[in-house]
Amino acid sequence: MFHDNSRILGQETIKVQHLGGTITRFGRYFRHYWYGLVLVLVFIVISATANVLGPELVGQAVDCYLFPQAQQGSQSQDIVGCWFSDINLTATTGQRLTGLGTLSLLLLGVYILDSVVIGLAFFVMRWTGQNVLRWIRADLFRHLHRLSIGFYAKHEAGDVMSRLTNDMQTVQQLFNFTLLNVARGVLIILFVVVSMLWRNVPYALLSLSVVPVMLLTTRYFSGQARKAFRRARQEIGNVNADLQESISGAREVQAFNREDESIAQFERANQANRAANVRAAVFTSALHPVLEALSFVAMGLVVLVGGWSALRGTPLLGSSVITLGLVFAFMNYIQRLNMPIMQIAVLWTNVQNGIAGGERIFNLIDEPVDITDKPDARKMPEIQGEVVFENVCMEYVPGEAVLKNISFQAQAGQIIALVGHTGAGKTTIASLMPRFYDVSEGAVKIDGLDVRDVQMDSLRSQIGIVLQDTFLFSTTIMENIRYGNPEATDEEVIAAAKVAAAHDFIERMPEGYQTVLGERGSGLSQGQRQLIAIARVTLMNPRILILDEATSSVDTRTERIIQAAFEKLLEGRTSFVIAHRLSTIKHADLVLMMREGEIIERGTHYELLEQKGAYYDLYMSQFLDEEVAEAEKIEAMPTAD
Amino acid sequence: MHAVGGIRPQAAGMPRRGREQLNKAALGRSIRYLGKHRRATVVAYAALVIATLTQLAVPKMVQRMIDSVTNGVTAKQILAIPNPAVQNLAIEKTGLSITVLQHNFDVAETLLINAVVILIAFAIMRGMFAFVQMYMAEWVSQALAYNLRNDIFTKIQRLSFSYYDRNQTGQLMIRATDDVEQVRGFIAQGLLMTLQAVLLLTGTLTILFLTNLKLTLVILPIMPIAFALFMFFGKISQPMFLAVQQRLSALNTVLQENVAGIKVVKAFARQPYEQARFDRSNDDLYTQWIRVARVFSFLFPVMMGIGMIGQVIVLYFAGGQIINGGMSPGEYQEFSLYLVYVFFPLGQLGFIISMMAAASASAGRIFEILDTQSDIVEKPHAIKLPSMQGRVEFQNVTFRYFHSGAPVLADVNFTVEPGQKVALLGSTGSGKSTIINLIPRFYDVSEGAVLIDGHDVREVTLDSLRSQIGIVLQETNLFSGTIRDNIAFGRPDATDEEVQEAAELAAAHKFIMEFPGGYNTSVGERGATLSGGQKQRVAIARALLLKPSILILDDSTSSVDFATERQIQDALETLMQGRTSFVIAQRISTVRNADKIIVLDKGRVAALGTHAELMEESTIYAEIYASQLIDDRKTDHAANAAL
Repeated sequence: MFHDNSRILGQETIKVQHLGGTITRFGRYFRHYWYGLVLVLVFIVISATANVLGPELVGQAVDCYLFPQAQQGSQSQDIVGCWFSDINLTATTGQRLTGLGTLSLLLLGVYILDSVVIGLAFFVMRWTGQNVLRWIRADLFRHLHRLSIGFYAKHEAGDVMSRLTNDMQTVQQLFNFTLLNVARGVLIILFVVVSMLWRNVPYALLSLSVVPVMLLTTRYFSGQARKAFRRARQEIGNVNADLQESISGAREVQAFNREDESIAQFERANQANRAANVRAAVFTSALHPVLEALSFVAMGLVVLVGGWSALRGTPLLGSSVITLGLVFAFMNYIQRLNMPIMQIAVLWTNVQNGIAGGERIFNLIDEPVDITDKPDARKMPEIQGEVVFENVCMEYVPGEAVLKNISFQAQAGQIIALVGHTGAGKTTIASLMPRFYDVSEGAVKIDGLDVRDVQMDSLRSQIGIVLQDTFLFSTTIMENIRYGNPEATDEEVIAAAKVAAAHDFIERMPEGYQTVLGERGSGLSQGQRQLIAIARVTLMNPRILILDEATSSVDTRTERIIQAAFEKLLEGRTSFVIAHRLSTIKHADLVLMMREGEIIERGTHYELLEQKGAYYDLYMSQFLDEEVAEAEKIEAMPTAD
Repeated sequence: MHAVGGIRPQAAGMPRRGREQLNKAALGRSIRYLGKHRRATVVAYAALVIATLTQLAVPKMVQRMIDSVTNGVTAKQILAIPNPAVQNLAIEKTGLSITVLQHNFDVAETLLINAVVILIAFAIMRGMFAFVQMYMAEWVSQALAYNLRNDIFTKIQRLSFSYYDRNQTGQLMIRATDDVEQVRGFIAQGLLMTLQAVLLLTGTLTILFLTNLKLTLVILPIMPIAFALFMFFGKISQPMFLAVQQRLSALNTVLQENVAGIKVVKAFARQPYEQARFDRSNDDLYTQWIRVARVFSFLFPVMMGIGMIGQVIVLYFAGGQIINGGMSPGEYQEFSLYLVYVFFPLGQLGFIISMMAAASASAGRIFEILDTQSDIVEKPHAIKLPSMQGRVEFQNVTFRYFHSGAPVLADVNFTVEPGQKVALLGSTGSGKSTIINLIPRFYDVSEGAVLIDGHDVREVTLDSLRSQIGIVLQETNLFSGTIRDNIAFGRPDATDEEVQEAAELAAAHKFIMEFPGGYNTSVGERGATLSGGQKQRVAIARALLLKPSILILDDSTSSVDFATERQIQDALETLMQGRTSFVIAQRISTVRNADKIIVLDKGRVAALGTHAELMEESTIYAEIYASQLIDDRKTDHAANAAL
């Protein structure tokens, strides 16, 4: 009703690839609620009928009661064109009034019926539409979980989110508002045009001649408005970017005395935005006045043509003489067409976008899943912790090998350190164990079982992972830690936090464990987030641990705490560490030195030093500094007095 | 963050808008902004008046048009009656003489054509003025938005840091965008709509009263009912839609977390848990929409119904008048049309009133910013600080945020001679950052004074003060533009040679030349992304170009490899040569080489001296030295041991 038409006019149109397919897909959802759709159809048919009945009745009022003398048959007292009652020209005022009263009541009934039926149609449509939407959303979400990590690595999070939100929004608009109004509008137009034609073909055609002009006008203006709005959107993007930069960089701006330049630059962007919007305003402001003027032209045409025929008594273009009542009826009909025409013209963009949006959503739901449980996959029994890589080769992109013929064996409880430059393949090895990716050749076996033969969830719930980039959820700290084991009690959570050296800082927070974190766990420092991640995995108590030691910039004290927590975490499980700290590597039972996807050296730290190979070089250039520094620091510490 | 895929992420800590109170003062002020565009506003309103007047005239034209037909047709029929007796009876019924009837018939066609032409002419004229009105209104509202945004931006740029401490970026962004839009929408649509509605309503009612009092009285009672209904509709629809938005937002959060954190979800095999979480949000959203649907599916028909009932009443009572010979069909149609003019404005008014509250709240927030006084103000006769030597003194400096609460700095005293290197040490919250913020006068002291070369910083112009102080902090902000623009940020009129020289000293020239565009490479949102180390070096070049006398920096580097770290440290050393430097120290080499070390503890100077002095005298220093600093000293031992 009170919609900002200009905004709808300015929507971009997205191309639809497979119209038929998408509509069929929608149909599959709606089929479930066919009774709802049937009801809606029935209702809008009734409404459309009422929209035709109304003008007819008004015409009858004019012909039968108000101006019967205009319908005077030349011979009798009959009233030509009055079918509502058998009243004739001899009727008294009183009789005419009563007749009018009856007709008025009937008309009231018709109008009320129309209103009620529209209300019902609206509700049923909403109910049906919302149910379908809820279903589609659920399907979409379920599929999101099924898609493998590989998919997410290839697709930008922003694009996926855009499908989920923006596209759902256009589909929602389609179901909520557009479908019903377009359907009703089309039906009304259909019924009205048919009625007009049924009454008098030439009169109808002449009266409707303005309609195509109205449609073309709308198409032209909305097309121009769209272009202008596209420009305006670009400009507002610039304005926002300027704002964002200046606010977050305010310190620099003031420190370098750049306020004046900054303001001047903003004014330019602001001005461009203003100009673009004003240009769009030309078209949005013109649409309504033009359409309104055209509707008056149509009205004038109706009266002119009909009146001409009535006055001259000439049949119009070979049909019949136009009665006064018919003129009134047609005037009423034409007025009825205004709203549906305007609505459909404006909403058509939304229809296209809604279908296109649906298409994009279905594309996502249809996205093939490459990592699934085998049909006969068994549950992974309690892991002892033996991990074997047999001739494993891995290619993310066919032809580009990331891992070449990797073989090693880790006994239960051992610490395996993965060392090498970025891109050597360490992270890939770590991703293969929980089956985030599948190997291209060879096999990954845990306790003798190929990971592809077991159920993924049963496997992963026994493998703990701590990565460099910690992801936390926007819920309480308690719940975040409990993520490791949903069955854990509060006490168990706190115990895990203590082991992970996170308990202290959590207690210091105003709401302690009940502190709610912000989006993506904001509100904590990097170091604190890592400690919570460690607590999370501690609670999980997995038999296999995968740990990436790289820490972002934390101060030395926090670094020490994290290191200690890591060391505790490594105890008693088979651990794979992407190692950055010399102390860790020294403690490892097996060090795998990697380069370009191959294990070039393996052994303990001391064994590898003796080999004087690649590991030895790395040690000399990177780790030795650390060792010496550590030693010196211990020297420099003031002795306790 | 800049919108991704068209979604704006929820700014953390944004207050949820509930039902808002009407803030008349703020609305009034925003309307007064229109004063800047007097001519355009007058044109818009003049066009509105003319368009409305023509609109009021249209039904009259329609009436003429119809009456010409009905009179003509009636006359024709009567004149054609063959039986004189019947004819006379019919003539009597009309109450007109036969001459009149004949006349009616003769002129009918001409009258009709004239009437139609005039109607169309009026319709076109109305269309043109309506266009002018709408266009000018939009033009004025865009001008208003333009002014507001400029004013907000200017204000924000010049506000002092304490303001930024209190307000999050997200909130400020929303003031300048959403709130301005809200006010603009109200001015564009709301204000004009109100005037139009009022004009239309009063005009129509006057005409109706004058032409047909009885019928008007019949219609009158319906109007307040319709009005009340529209207002009610507006009032309850807002909070309902707000609730929908909130639930949609909650749903999107779950979605976003599952997309961004899919690895964690899968790693912990928590799909069922997340599924349940999603299902709850999905159901919540569904429930709210159904609630909205229920309300609307009731209100819509009622509102439509009211209009329809009005029409039927008119039909009956007007019909009665027609039958009793008081009204012509044209007059009936005229009345019908005027009726629309009565109900439509009522709807508009109801809607506008519901918009007012939200718009006024937005206006209130906007003016809150515009009214804020910056607490760092240049004195009216501030003197220009001449070329600095670089002697910095803190005399009994105490600082409290917003001049209340516990002091962040208490009674800090020290003197730094030109060219000295000062290391600042202390745990988080000890006051280090405050000290370096006081020097360029980003904050003012609560007590005491900060002197540079003997001048109190409050006595000099901000320009002259800050242009001689260079700042390089770990959190570097670069701006969209070329690399050259960024280096020349403080001195846009620097020559290319100067820019390159600064870049070379900052160990940045090499990597800059590796870009295809060199110094003209675009950086920022729409350009190349620089690594942390590269950004830092550009920031160093930026500060170098100023040739400042005083330097403020912190010595930590973002996660870079050894070689780059070495380069950055060397660049910083170059930067500090010959300048008074204040360094927030994280490295052992910094404190060992400092001329002065200031150790802060809870806002007080806990130790002051050189490394050697403090190692002996201060336990707190020794403790910090041993535990908190990063060791970065060159280890020549390593090279020797390898041989």
